[in-house]
Amino acid sequence: MGRIIVANRHGDQVIEWDPAADTEEGRAAIAEAEQIIAEARARGCAISKKVDGKHVLDHGPFDPQAEEYQIIAPIAGG
Amino acid sequence: MQAADRWGLERPWLINWQWVPKRSAGPGFGPQEYARARARGAEVARATLGEENWETLRRQGYLDVRSRLLPGLTYRLRVGRRIQLLWDTLDDAMRSPWPYDYLCVNPVYPLPAIEFTAHLYLYLRDREEEVIRVAAPQPFDQLLGRVF
Repeated sequence: MGRIIVANRHGDQVIEWDPAADTEEGRAAIAEAEQIIAEARARGCAISKKVDGKHVLDHGPFDPQAEEYQIIAPIAGG
Repeated sequence: MQAADRWGLERPWLINWQWVPKRSAGPGFGPQEYARARARGAEVARATLGEENWETLRRQGYLDVRSRLLPGLTYRLRVGRRIQLLWDTLDDAMRSPWPYDYLCVNPVYPLPAIEFTAHLYLYLRDREEEVIRVAAPQPFDQLLGRVF
């Protein structure tokens, strides 16, 4: 399963998808996950991707095979 | 968005948080919600930082991140507080782009303090230029306003 951890005031909320699911519902879940990442990026959030067991800030396109993404809050001074 | 609705997902980047008081998560949060959010935030922070950094943070109470861009600078991260600047030498400190030794950097929406510490770690390690761009230098230490 792939998943996105959305860091928010609840601590986190998680959405998941099955990259191997070859069903309409499975493809829709992947598309929705990609859309959430794109929307967060467009609003200034950073995206972290787990690579080799380690989270790194990522600029690449959404990868449904990724184990885990995390949406990181934009930062501001003061 | 269907997925957000299906998962009951709160997308904080769509919300204006300016009206929420400092160090508050906003309406609908009581002691139980704060406790649950902090516990979940700690789990995410641990996964984000990795075991070694997590243990260092627990043991020391801070995490040090060496600057890639400013020679002689180490950023000290403490949970829920301003970033402290530590310079190797007085000469290094004299070249600081900031007039003070603390940087105020907040998330734009409320987060558990421990979770934001992990976020700041990622920013400093992977996107230091963004921290340098937004940081507000301050002459003294203080709690951050947008975490709880």
